[in-house]
This record gives sequence, C-alpha cells and structure tokens, in this order.
Amino acid sequence: MNKMWTVVRREYLSRLKTKGFVIGTILTPVLLIAMTVVPRLLLFLKSDKPIQIAVIDQTGAILDSLIVNLNDRNEAGERLYHFIKREGTASDLEAAKKTLSGEVDSGALDGYIIIPASIYEDGNAEYYAKSVTNFKVNSGMRNAISRAVKEHRIQQSGLNSEQVRRLVQRVDLRTFRIAEGGKEEEDKGRTELVVWVLVMFIYMALLVYGQLVMRSVIEEKSSRVIESVISSVRPFDLMAGKIVGIGALGLTQYTIWAAAIGLVSLYGIQVVDIFAPKMAMANAPKFALPAIPFETLLYFIAFFVFGYFLFATMFAAVGAMVNSDQEAQQLVFPVIMLVIVPLMFTFYIIGNPNSQLAVILSLVPFFSPIVMFARIVVQTPPFWQIALCFVLMLATIVGMIWVVGRIYRVGVLMYGKRPTLPELLKWIRYA
Amino acid sequence: MQTLQLESVNKSFGNLDAVKDLSLAVAPGTIYGFLGPNGAGKTTTIRMIMEIILPDRGQILIKGTPNTTRAILDRVGYLPEERGVYRKMKVREALEFFAELKGMKKSAHKTKIDVWAERFGMTEVLNKKMEELSKGNQQKIQILTAVLHEPDLIILDEPFMGLDPVNAELIKDVILEQKQRGAAIVFSTHLMESAEKLCDAICLINKGLKVLDGEVKQVKRNFGRNSVIVAYNGKSDFLKNNGVIERYNDSGNHVEIQLRPGANPQTLLAAAMQHAEISRFEIVEPSLHEIFLATVKS
Repeated sequence: MNKMWTVVRREYLSRLKTKGFVIGTILTPVLLIAMTVVPRLLLFLKSDKPIQIAVIDQTGAILDSLIVNLNDRNEAGERLYHFIKREGTASDLEAAKKTLSGEVDSGALDGYIIIPASIYEDGNAEYYAKSVTNFKVNSGMRNAISRAVKEHRIQQSGLNSEQVRRLVQRVDLRTFRIAEGGKEEEDKGRTELVVWVLVMFIYMALLVYGQLVMRSVIEEKSSRVIESVISSVRPFDLMAGKIVGIGALGLTQYTIWAAAIGLVSLYGIQVVDIFAPKMAMANAPKFALPAIPFETLLYFIAFFVFGYFLFATMFAAVGAMVNSDQEAQQLVFPVIMLVIVPLMFTFYIIGNPNSQLAVILSLVPFFSPIVMFARIVVQTPPFWQIALCFVLMLATIVGMIWVVGRIYRVGVLMYGKRPTLPELLKWIRYA
Repeated sequence: MQTLQLESVNKSFGNLDAVKDLSLAVAPGTIYGFLGPNGAGKTTTIRMIMEIILPDRGQILIKGTPNTTRAILDRVGYLPEERGVYRKMKVREALEFFAELKGMKKSAHKTKIDVWAERFGMTEVLNKKMEELSKGNQQKIQILTAVLHEPDLIILDEPFMGLDPVNAELIKDVILEQKQRGAAIVFSTHLMESAEKLCDAICLINKGLKVLDGEVKQVKRNFGRNSVIVAYNGKSDFLKNNGVIERYNDSGNHVEIQLRPGANPQTLLAAAMQHAEISRFEIVEPSLHEIFLATVKS
C-alpha cells in the first residue's frame, strides 16, 4: 500500500512539473478569459463613431421614417446615424451625386443614400460610401429602408400606421424550465448549454486522462524501466498507483479550471471595466455563467471519478498489450468508441431524457458517465435509476480491475507480437 | 542461514524448458558468479528470484523467507539486464523514487545519495534528466539504485557490460565493498576473466540445466591439474597429431592446452621444442574460461 502511494506521488508530481501540464493548465483559463474579455474590449476600442450620411429622398417620406427607426446609439450614448437631407431630382441627380462624392472624398460626409421615387415599385436604393463593408451599418440601413417601404406599401392598402406596427410586430418566445418542486425559472437556452459544456468536460476527462494512463504504461514498457519497477512493487500496486496519480492530476487540472471559470464569471466584467471605465455605464449585456446547481456539481465529480476509473483501467490494459504508441492507436479505437457513442446520443438525450432508449443507454456502465449525467442535468430521473447506474458502474469497475490487473501483470513484461484473444484469456487465467 | 536458496526450480515457456530443476545456495558475504552461454536461462532464473515471473515448480528463499512474501524483496537490490530508465526524470528524483519503493525514508536516502554521487563523480548530474546521461553513466546510476538501500542480496545482471575500464574498476570496488559489508552478491556474466577474479563460488548453467557449481577453487581442482600454458614463437604444428592433447585454445603466440587424462606433459614439451622457440611452459589450474568452454561444448 505504501508503495502504491510512492507510485502515486511520482505519477502525480513528475507530470505536474512538466512544461506541457503547466502551460496547458494556465493557457486554458487564459484563453477562456481572452474569449470573454477581449471581444468586449474590442467592441469598446472600435466603438462606433457617429456617421454623417446625406440622403436624397425622391419619395419625400422615407427619410423621416429612417430618422425614427434607425436610432441606434453607440456605447457612449450618441446617435450613430446623422441624416442630412439633400435635394436631387431625376434631372440633376448626376450633378448632385458628383457633389456628394466630392464631399465623401474630402471627409465631410461618410456616405450618401439615393432613394429613387421608384423604390415602392422596384425596391431599389443606392448607398455610396468610402467603406461599404461595415456589416452593421449596411444591414441596419437596409432593414430600416425595407421597413419604411413595407410600411408604406401596407399603408397604401388602406391600413393606418398603428395597425401596421401591430401587423409587423415580432413575436418573442421566452422559455421556462420547471425545476424540482414545480418552481418555474426562466431558461434562456442555458440548460442545454450547461449539459453540453459539462458533458464535454467529462468526455475530455475520460479520453485525455485515460490516454495519459495508457501512455504512462507504454512508456515504462518501451523504455524497459518496467523490470526495475516491478522488482520493487507489485504490478497491481503499480497499476493502481498510476491510475490514482493521473486521476489526481486530472482533478487538480479541473479544479484550477473551475476556479478560473468561477473567477471570470465573478470578476471578468470588473476586469473589463478597469481597462475601459466608460463601458461600466453602458448597458451592454453582462457576461455571466449560468448558475450550476450544487447537486449537479456533485454528480459531475461522481461521474468524473467513476468514469475515469472505468476507462483508465481499460486504457491501462491496452497499454500493457502493446509495445509502442503507434501500435496502441489501433487497439485503443474500441475503447475510444465507448466514449464517442454516448456523446453522439447526447442531442437525443437532451430532447428525450426519459425515453426508453435514454434509460437503457444510461444504465450501460460505459455510457453512464455521459448519458446518465446528461439526463440528470436535463431532468432528474427517478432515484432508483441513478442508484442502479452507480451500482452497475461500481461492479464493472471492480470486474475490470480484476481482469485488467491480470492482463497488466503478464502484459507489461511481454515484448514482441501483440496477444491474440485466446492468448489474452490465457493471461487472465494464468496470472 | 543462506542468503539465497533455490530449491528445484522449474520454468518452461510453451515447449521450451527455460530452467530445469535448478537448486543452488548463496551464503552471506560471498560473491556468486552465475555463468552460462546466451540463452542458458540466467535471466529467467534472476527474474524468478525477483518474483517478476513465477516458477512453475520449486521454491525460492531469501534469508529463509519465500520470495512470494513481497516484503523480503525490499532486502534485495537488482540491476536488470534491460537497462531501462525513466528518461524524463531527474537523476536525483529517480534515485529517490526507487529508494522509497525499497522502503527507505526520505531522511535516510537524502545524505546517502549525496555521498554515493560524490564517490561516483556524479554530483553535477543529479539535477540532470536521465536521458541527458551517457549509457555508462545511466548504468552507474542503476547500480547505485541496487546498492543504495544496503540490501542483503544484490543481483547484478551483466554489471560490467558496456563499461570502460575505469568504471569497471569502480564497480568492482563497489561489489567487493558490499561483500565486506556482509551482503551476498549474485552476478551473471559471460566475461570469464571478471568472474574468475571476483567470484568466491560459481554456478554454470547451460540450456536450463546446472552443469557444475561450487567454490571456484573446488571447481578448478575437480576439473584436474592437466592444463598447460605455452608461450611460443614459431610454428604451431606441435599442437596437431601428437596424441596427448584433448583440446587447445591458441591465441597465436600463447596457447592454453587441455591434456588427455593420464598424458605426460613432458611429451608435449619435447614436441613443442622441435617446432618452436618456447619462452614459457607451465602446468596450471584450468581457467574458468577453459572450464566454461569445455563444459558447454561437451
């Protein structure tokens, strides 16, 4: 037992100190912070300046509508669009355009719009500017002009402007989730986001740390250091130490990340505000993580631990059966499939958390960490199902450790040809 | 009590009998040479002693305790034939790891590592990664790993292989020192000269079978005093067709000859003088090398 802890310490510390681990652990939250903070900073730095646009409105009605409808403001609260009315009839349009182009060129104007009298029929207007690639400006103006034209057309058919407003009113669908105890809470698509984020975290944990165990086994085998180690510690203790050590490493990494995510969601906005105090006043939407219920967090840790032990033992067995990383690639495929399959069902599970298929899948021990967890987050299933799922996982883990311990004991000292299935069964019986 | 005792140990892999009915005993404070040609079963036997593989039949006792009681293996130091190291680990960390696997406390191994490193002239490499070390230096570290915890039994599989003369001398001194301390040392080799100089007793195995064993003096005596060393200058025709020679090992101007039982060495000397100029003619005990060749060939 003491020796197992010596192995745990080595596996844990020697990896904790590698550059790869340190960089990966730090870089992930840094990237996360960058992803939330930087766009907001950029938004501010690029903060839209009001633009001056001349309008030649041959209909005589659309400009007024534009001024009313296109009233966007930038973060500083200024109106974004300043419209200047210009005259230009069909006959002197070319001359007017020339003048306006000159003004745009000199910088007095940012651009100009020509709304011909025929717009109600053919729906064509023209926008001239030095820069015509600002998507926000383009689409804003297009929508505003379209709306004015639409309203005009409907008015022509005999409805007044109040009726028109009601006709074109958009519908806003708000969704509510009924939580335990029948409490309603507004859900803005966040439950689904939470499921996906947490499921992806479990998926990554199983694959990344599982394969770390596999590579650790292969490394000892291919460097032939295994013989020195096995002469001092039982193969089973070595395997257990490896799995526990790397599992502890995974928990450390996830804890650091969770703390970073927590800090970002708590203080991220303040950080932005330090750099850009003006933004504090603006009414830009606040970034906030959806609150994860405490039970969900506990379940996450439980599925992380159970799932990890289940898969780490399998990955250890694969490592013991092969001689090199390349050889492992083929053999590891079925194990990886066991993680990918439930992930592919996640969409379905989120939509149908209590369907028969979902219940069955969630009780398959290899799928439980992802499927049952997703079900729990979406809609807590009956307690007996959760209990059964953990019992089945535990039984499978015990069985796996027994089988894999035997494969490991023989496998780590075998070099050369990969074992066939009958040989593998012999190993299990022999050890 | 014997430090190491093998009792009728058998091991086969499929149809191959790797070790057949092997029994031997190693006393404390002795150096025991485990000799045999490639594929004789030396490494298999050593692996069974270390409980890396299990014998099919038979028992292995270390200080009277079966080696299946794993704790007794903490009293054994081992240099495997496969010289694997944790390549990414720092030398000191690797030494500490193995010391702790052998049950040493941190307080105990810290100063010991420094003392040994100093003696091996490796103080500066303690903070380097294992992979930065030369093969020879890696091997020295592994030998250090085998003796650091002051075990009662030290098993070295080909300890001199790949070492330069200076380091080979250093390792020889370490082995002698451990013997003085009272440890039993078992080392396998096919370098007969180092075995001959170092060993108190030997065991020679071939194709899994023990062919002879015992104290080196006794082994030589049993083999008979009918070896002759001749240093000569000239033709070596006298070695052929003279009726008294059983075998010989000619090195050009130096030949070790095994006479037939009952043959008279004087007959050989007379024949030799007719063909070559003789600068040395000596009746000696056979070298282990001779015994090895004679036994393995027969």
